[in-house]
Amino acid sequence: MVPFVIYFVTGIVTALHVGSLLVVALYGIPVSPLEVVALAGSFCLLLAAYVTLYRPRAAAKIALIATFILWSFYGPAIAGRIRAGSLKPAPISRDDGRSPTFAAVDQPA
Amino acid sequence: MTLPYLAIVLLILVTVYSAAATFRSPEKERSSWIFPSGANKWVRRLIVLFTLAIVLGAVLWFLAASRSSTPRPLKIIVPQDYSGWVRVDFGVKDAPALPIESGEMLARIPADGRIKTSSPQQFGLSKDSYLFQSAAGLRPIPYSGANRMIWGKIDGESSGASGKQTYEEFFVGNEQQYRDAVRGTKSSSTP
Repeated sequence: MVPFVIYFVTGIVTALHVGSLLVVALYGIPVSPLEVVALAGSFCLLLAAYVTLYRPRAAAKIALIATFILWSFYGPAIAGRIRAGSLKPAPISRDDGRSPTFAAVDQPA
Repeated sequence: MTLPYLAIVLLILVTVYSAAATFRSPEKERSSWIFPSGANKWVRRLIVLFTLAIVLGAVLWFLAASRSSTPRPLKIIVPQDYSGWVRVDFGVKDAPALPIESGEMLARIPADGRIKTSSPQQFGLSKDSYLFQSAAGLRPIPYSGANRMIWGKIDGESSGASGKQTYEEFFVGNEQQYRDAVRGTKSSSTP
């Protein structure tokens, strides 16, 4: 029961997280292929949760492979976050209600 | 906001646990509560029931949510040859509600490019449409591609005397007009 709970809960939580990042694809925004790979890793963890009821060692191997897949997404994401954390955010200009400040973000290239 | 952190903590736990379970020496492979050798019949049945309940619950929730929260698409009609900023203020007290035609909310933009409505802004998966009103009828405004004429679209929130209001704002014009508008407003707002 313990391995089932661990694999299942982690599979669900990571799938929800990565899925929430992938939802923007519905609006036509391009997504990172690593996010799609990570979602596959989450499904592998869910698969491992059910396999563990019958073959715990095989399930552990599936789960380990799934974690490597998931780390391929979370590893660079954590590194990027740590690097970005050392940078100062840019000052936000005054919004006068007509939003050219925000509109400037969407300036044509 | 806590979801990414929770995911990382659980991922560390699973990595350690699955590595320990995979590389455990076969001689020490005794069943214990932390490394069980399998699940008995009742646990398997319980898990099958639990899975069915979760799948059924998710399907029902999805059906209920999609029925109650399907947003109405917004059709924005701009005067022919209009160029400039357009702003639609939603949730404004005493302002008229937007009319609904064929299941779409209709916002007819006046010549000054600004319209206020008491209708609430709708968020979700709906496709808004942008059209020019001409004597010949309605003509779609290109939203993307080489002839794109909609730029800088934002959804914002502002606080006023009548409470919190949301608004949608965008620029109508070609790329050069948009560039000039952004440059012009930026320089005019610089102290």
